[in-house]
Amino acid sequence: MNVVITGAAGGLGRAFAVECAKRGYNLILTDICEQGLKTLAEGLIRSYDADVIYFTCDITDEKQTEKFRKFIDIRNIYIDMLFNVAGIDHEGAFTQRSFEQINSIVKVNIEATLRITYMMLNFKRVDEPFRIINVSSLASQFPMPLKAVYAASKRFILDFSYALNEELNEKNVYVLSLCPGGLATTQNAIEGMAVQGFFGNATSNRLEVVARKTIDKSLRKRRVYIPGALNRIFSVAGKFLPVTMITRVIYMRWKRALSLRCNT
Amino acid sequence: MKNIVITGATSGIGLAVCETLLVAGHRVIGIGRSAESCDKAKIYLLSKKNNADITYFNADLMQMAEVRKVSSKIIEYIDSNWDGMLDVLINNAGCVRSRYCTTKEGYEQQFALNHLAPFLMTYSLIDSLIKAKGRVIVTSSESHKNMSMRWDDLMFTRFYKPLMAYKQSKLANMLFILGLNDRFSKKGIRAYCVDPGLVNTEIGLKQTFGIVSLVWSLRKKKGVTPDVPAKTYHFITSSETHPEGMYIHGEEKKEYSSYVNRENADRLWRISENLCGVEFGRLR
Repeated sequence: MNVVITGAAGGLGRAFAVECAKRGYNLILTDICEQGLKTLAEGLIRSYDADVIYFTCDITDEKQTEKFRKFIDIRNIYIDMLFNVAGIDHEGAFTQRSFEQINSIVKVNIEATLRITYMMLNFKRVDEPFRIINVSSLASQFPMPLKAVYAASKRFILDFSYALNEELNEKNVYVLSLCPGGLATTQNAIEGMAVQGFFGNATSNRLEVVARKTIDKSLRKRRVYIPGALNRIFSVAGKFLPVTMITRVIYMRWKRALSLRCNT
Repeated sequence: MKNIVITGATSGIGLAVCETLLVAGHRVIGIGRSAESCDKAKIYLLSKKNNADITYFNADLMQMAEVRKVSSKIIEYIDSNWDGMLDVLINNAGCVRSRYCTTKEGYEQQFALNHLAPFLMTYSLIDSLIKAKGRVIVTSSESHKNMSMRWDDLMFTRFYKPLMAYKQSKLANMLFILGLNDRFSKKGIRAYCVDPGLVNTEIGLKQTFGIVSLVWSLRKKKGVTPDVPAKTYHFITSSETHPEGMYIHGEEKKEYSSYVNRENADRLWRISENLCGVEFGRLR
């Protein structure tokens, strides 16, 4: 099984890489951070004797991505599974962020994901399934004030994945969206969950469990995975409650969490 | 006067040990995670003893690359200021996590910082330690008891239990010290684990949340102040000859888990060598 992971040097990408290495998959990693990739590859080889290659690349840059394509092409590698993990967020009110920041969310979360997906589908084996795991977010389930662009970009990924899955099913391509709540990946993320108090803890997911189950579900051709029972309840509730109400509640919560963080 | 390197030296037990050792007239290199906390600790220590011989280096020791970088800086310092002699290495830095988190290598953070960092740090400084016939101390804990190593999944990627991962890392400390004595006692080195007891520090509150930080904030109130365990480190450091025993509480040697035996120590040693990418003191 040959696996491509974007954003591999970050928290969730790394967790997927570890899980894949444990399963004996062959890894092709990419990230914008060269040192991170190098260190991770070293760690995976040492702990799981994994087969790892990596290519440093800014996937929002067309030329660099083309080089990444050649990097795979030249080695004559087929791909069985793609993890679109790379993503960013600049939390805060729309007008308080620069337009570059706003635009970069769209560029990484949407444009780059589409480009990589388009590119990697060319490396599908004939007569073998090709699996795509798109990292969406619990934020994709509701409109989110103060995370407006991020939540909408993740909604894009969710809807796109459903549609693409339907379109390519007969060609043996399966697309799964992962919609996790908070993940304890960085110190920043952990502090973010801590200030949310009870719900921050209750909606957060276990990184190692998410990594394992996502792959299991993708292998079973599932289309969406929302980890955590409470998150699933929220998601279902979101489909029945009026959207103005949901938006208002979320706005109040994020406003409080943000002000708490600014004070500490 | 002895030359000492101590990790996790900007707060909790580490800072108290620095203070005790400096007041006793020793020379100390401290390692802390951020430059900011190092500066703060240095100002504090100088306020306790104005001519204290203290130098700080900062490094995030759970990243193996940073252990290598900082240890080469330390070797440079020891060679030019301390005549290449390191009398005591205190591997004290440790962490608690409430969730599975990984280092840049993809290693579980408690295992990386609590066990692999001491392993690699000791490896890197071993020549200076041999030259001074020095001592190595690791901060372990009673929590190493009633625990075994999860050999097939040392990084706890399945069913991560924060406390179990912590207990395992402290058991790993004991196995490391046993292995170290096995390999280097003939060269004059002695290694110890210290049981500090329950101490009122912030270890369980840094980068944790939910139940772990809740339990620790209640539990730490019952703990002693860090200057109590600091006396143990002072005792081991300042003794004329190597003290007896390998697991020390107060000034007494203590019983440790029967799981801490040669077979397990050698097994962990080989895995640690592999994970750090080094060859450390082959037995034959």
